[in-house]
Amino acid sequence: MARVYNWQIGRAMNYWYPENRPKRQFGAVFDINKCIECQTCTLACKTTWTSGRGQEFMLWNNVETKPYGSYPLAWDLQVLSRLGPQTWQNGRYTGRTVFEALPKGDRVLTTLRQDVDYCYPNVGEDEILGTVTRGGALSLPQQMWMFYLARICNHCTYPACLSSCPRSSIYKRPEDGIVVIDQSRCRGYQECVKACPYGKVYFNPATGTSEKCIACYPKIEQGIQPQCFVNCIGKIRLQGWINPPDRLREDNPVDYLVHVRKIALPLYPQFGLEPNVYYVPPINVPDSFLIQMFGPGAPAAVQAYRNAKNDKVLAGLFALFGSTERTIPYFKIVGDNAVALDDSRRELVRVPIYEPVHVRPAQDRLYQIMRSNTT
Amino acid sequence: MIRKVAVLALLLGALAGCRGESAQDLEQIPAKRVAAPLPFDDPASGLWQQAVEHPVKLLKQDLTEPMLKEPGVELVKVRALHDGEWVVFRLEWEDATQDLIPSTGHSSDAAALQFPLAPDGDVPHAAMGEKGRGVRIWYWKAVWQDDAARAQAGRGDRIASLYPNAAVDHYPFEASPSARAEMEKRYAPAQAAGNPTAVGPGAGGVQVLVAEGFGTTRALPAQAGRGHGQWGAGKWRTTIARPLRGGAELGDIEPGKRSYVAFAIWDGAQAHTGSRKMRSEWVPLVLREQ
Repeated sequence: MARVYNWQIGRAMNYWYPENRPKRQFGAVFDINKCIECQTCTLACKTTWTSGRGQEFMLWNNVETKPYGSYPLAWDLQVLSRLGPQTWQNGRYTGRTVFEALPKGDRVLTTLRQDVDYCYPNVGEDEILGTVTRGGALSLPQQMWMFYLARICNHCTYPACLSSCPRSSIYKRPEDGIVVIDQSRCRGYQECVKACPYGKVYFNPATGTSEKCIACYPKIEQGIQPQCFVNCIGKIRLQGWINPPDRLREDNPVDYLVHVRKIALPLYPQFGLEPNVYYVPPINVPDSFLIQMFGPGAPAAVQAYRNAKNDKVLAGLFALFGSTERTIPYFKIVGDNAVALDDSRRELVRVPIYEPVHVRPAQDRLYQIMRSNTT
Repeated sequence: MIRKVAVLALLLGALAGCRGESAQDLEQIPAKRVAAPLPFDDPASGLWQQAVEHPVKLLKQDLTEPMLKEPGVELVKVRALHDGEWVVFRLEWEDATQDLIPSTGHSSDAAALQFPLAPDGDVPHAAMGEKGRGVRIWYWKAVWQDDAARAQAGRGDRIASLYPNAAVDHYPFEASPSARAEMEKRYAPAQAAGNPTAVGPGAGGVQVLVAEGFGTTRALPAQAGRGHGQWGAGKWRTTIARPLRGGAELGDIEPGKRSYVAFAIWDGAQAHTGSRKMRSEWVPLVLREQ
């Protein structure tokens, strides 16, 4: 066991290997407030990568409803219930990570999974928290809530899957930090399947090896975003690069949202893996739920998001989501436009921050008729 | 004292012989030389009656993470026969269920033999060898045998066997006959990469591996192994055979000279894989001249 520094939990922690950050780290931001759970992302991934024999049950990308949904079944509850108290003090996590709450004889806290756990990907779909009674439908803010949580492999800085493999068949690519299973080396021990607390490694019975999201790395190598990102109808996703907080760049979209504005947060940071997919939390969910899921910064992130329409840089940056197929390493705001820039800071795409608004009077004077507001 | 024990052992051995059971050797595995064709794939062959049985004690692997927490089967009964060219072992162990096809949280029953590459010299620790002092492993996995049986009987692949009632409306690789082979590989990268676990061991049914310490296992290009398992009445009986003269790559076992063999058993029902296994220490192995 080595000691490594995890900035998301604000402290050092145990990990099987010493700290070794990649040259560049794949980073993503998902805006939960825009997700409509159309599952286009899920299908984009499935048709691209998991349409083979033995892969039928695999959803390397999935979208589940919270609070009651989960795929695989109860993946988060199974870890949360065994970590012990998950307390934070001034941004520092004082509970145990999965590398610390581990039983003797294991490298990481493992969750035993069965194939039946993957049979119910839509469990809890669209289920709101509870029933609406006694005029509750008329009150604001809304008492009942649910939201959609789209998930891929987080390409963690400290992957549990990587540390659990006794043969070192999983590696983190030094050029982009993407975590992949070496398909020529895996012998199907399924340690990684048990180790990933997010349930994002899958065993293929046909090949006898384990498989997982590869962040569409052949696309990343060409400077374009993964399939689930570019096909997203709601334009909720943006792929770029994330730096550790001491090396952040303000004109880097992911750094800006995560480190500068702290509006994009990691998923269950208390697991201790330093995941690199960040979420803008949903705005109508109680603080306590959001804090458990995204850490103590969640209520402030919600406030920042509510105010985003008045913040030109934030509003502009969100307008760049889904605006280009290209990975966005840098951005800038120029007047009323947001501009995505490539590695050399050349323009990739330019989008207006605000929709142009035209107001037409109710009566059309030329044709002497009333305009009606239907389409 | 030793004389008395020897006489007693002889008497017991004779008694056992009278009852039609094979003799037992508690000290080592004596491989008997036979002239007849070796029962490579036949654990039920009558030839095995001629072999002396050695009970091998199995321990749970608790030397390195990930460890086996709960012990599995603690005894494997081993017999061996050789013909001067090959040696075949028969392993017999208790297993309440026959576990063939791996799925999430469930693995294939498996068994393996391990030999030091250089039995004369510095024999390494029995747990997967050490750097510079390697071991060779003959690894049998029940699912590979089942793959071959299903293919021969035209009974469908692993997925059809695991989920007989499942229906899939369309696979992309079904759309274009000419692109089918290439697309099937794209969706099975382990097979496309020639991963020995995905591709399987070939006709012999046993995979030959080399290891020099924990986590270093890899398959060898030269696959010289044969074996076959039969499960019935809560027991596996499995033959695993290796050539005596394997040369520099596989190592040699000299008739008449002492060698060593160790065993490992994986129980699929308990999801044993990799280092979560029951294993033995080195057992002395002697190839008898008759």
